[in-house]
Amino acid sequence: MIDALRYEYVRLRTIRSTYWLIGLALVLQLVLALLIAWSLDRSTTFGGGDETFDILATIGGSTGAPLLMAYVVGLLGVFSTGHEYRHGMIRATLTAIPNRTHVFWAKVVSTAAVSAVTALLCVLIGLVGIVAFGLDLPSGTRFLEVSAGTVLYTALFALSGLAFAALVRNQTAAVALLMLVPSLFEFVVQSIVVIIKTNSDDPRGSGGVTTILKFLPYDAGSQMYVQSSIDGFVQRALGAEPFGAVGGGIVMGVFVAVLLGAAYALFLRRDA
Amino acid sequence: MALIEARSLGKSFGTQRAVDDLSFTVRPGSVTGFLGPNGSGKSTTMRLMLGLDRGQGVTTFDGLTFAELDHPVRHVGALLEAKPFHPTRTARNHLRMLAAPNGITDRRVDEVIEMVGLAGVRGGRPGKFSLGMGQRLGIAAALLGDPHTLILDEPSNGLDPQGITWLRNLLKFLAAQGRSVFVSSHLLQEMGVLADELVVIGRGRMLANGPVRDFVSHSGLGSVTVLTPDAATLGPALQALGATVTPDGDALVVRGATAEQIGDAAHAAGVRLHQLATRQATLEEAFLEATGLSEEFRGTQSGGAA
Repeated sequence: MIDALRYEYVRLRTIRSTYWLIGLALVLQLVLALLIAWSLDRSTTFGGGDETFDILATIGGSTGAPLLMAYVVGLLGVFSTGHEYRHGMIRATLTAIPNRTHVFWAKVVSTAAVSAVTALLCVLIGLVGIVAFGLDLPSGTRFLEVSAGTVLYTALFALSGLAFAALVRNQTAAVALLMLVPSLFEFVVQSIVVIIKTNSDDPRGSGGVTTILKFLPYDAGSQMYVQSSIDGFVQRALGAEPFGAVGGGIVMGVFVAVLLGAAYALFLRRDA
Repeated sequence: MALIEARSLGKSFGTQRAVDDLSFTVRPGSVTGFLGPNGSGKSTTMRLMLGLDRGQGVTTFDGLTFAELDHPVRHVGALLEAKPFHPTRTARNHLRMLAAPNGITDRRVDEVIEMVGLAGVRGGRPGKFSLGMGQRLGIAAALLGDPHTLILDEPSNGLDPQGITWLRNLLKFLAAQGRSVFVSSHLLQEMGVLADELVVIGRGRMLANGPVRDFVSHSGLGSVTVLTPDAATLGPALQALGATVTPDGDALVVRGATAEQIGDAAHAAGVRLHQLATRQATLEEAFLEATGLSEEFRGTQSGGAA
């Protein structure tokens, strides 16, 4: 396994996309954090408190917007296996390291580590915005909760990108899946559920078709960093109680684990 | 130095049998050429040997499968694809990446870059390399671990004549050091010069396996040209031996009999011989004869639409 990790270490260090993706995530985070901090500083209606950190650390993700850093860093996950197939590298890789288990899990470990570290840096950049404009610093508990949630979500998001690329063995298709499943597919499912529910005899009743909403993996995972006042807003409106940060994290974790398990099983069985 | 033993290799794609019960041995100290028409299963066989494709059979390198080798690049060097690298990772970094898990130093990376003639572009992006430069980088990757065995799929693709000569000399040199070299190529003339042994397949099945000279000499396309003033007597005598005799001006072209047999027959018939010239079939002729019915893809002479 150490040999495969060495390979991944050199692979990540010697390719430009590693640098421009991490750089893009950090620069976007810095620019947007400073802009939002400036905006909050001038706001007469914003209440401050822990919410300041929530918003800046996630660049608005805590209010229900997509977590930008996850979408950027997620591409690292796609590229970790996508490049192997797009550029015909997989056979060279497996002649250097014939143990497919080591190759696969070294990619999982490296992707999780790089995406988590990048997400943590993004969170810290959010703090920079707070300090730069003299806004309210978060409480220790809130800092840990949001940081852990953001880092975990980003790492799981990137790992789902890795799994998509390993499953379809097509980088372009994997990028499309990573971008569209959380933002479009889950939105379409939510819309269908809303239509069904609002036209039912009991639009606000719990259970039934609304249960599906609790298991939309990326939406469930977002509860790890979304403010509790917004958390599960759509679900509550339809009478479904969301799982919350821990439960939502478990739903997303299980989804990513299933994706990775399927990708690993196929990677062992398929021709290189 | 490793003995490669491939046993009962097999692979199907859907209902099509790409490789069928293929067994052969590649001995140390020799270059073994791997020949077959397009689509005959050469590349699939090589991938099966390295465990890259899932199929039947087993290939061992001194008794161990590729997956069982510790730091495999140090034992078996392989070139399987044209341009198997990321277009923006430099040539040197590409090799460093393959070297890292096998405990190979940067110094060795620089050595192989020099060896294949890419020192001037070691920092260049392979995406801008020509096919020949890409092949040289692939050969460098195969040589990285100073392996005792080389498995090369069409390594001369894209190389210029100087490059082909360089590759031929390199492979012969490596084989002379006692290494096992297994190489496929479509350049039959080149293979005739390079290879000591041949494995010839068609439609995934073994057609011939053995020394190049045996493969060529067993071809029915070899002939003996006979000049004699008594052709009318000698012709029927040779036909009685089972040979095919074709008049060619003043000469007779005889197939199916050796020069010695023809000489003995002439002596027995009291026929004078003025010339007895043996012409062996070329490797290309022998190959085309052996694989004539095994072509997967066959073109036609006519090119125009009706």
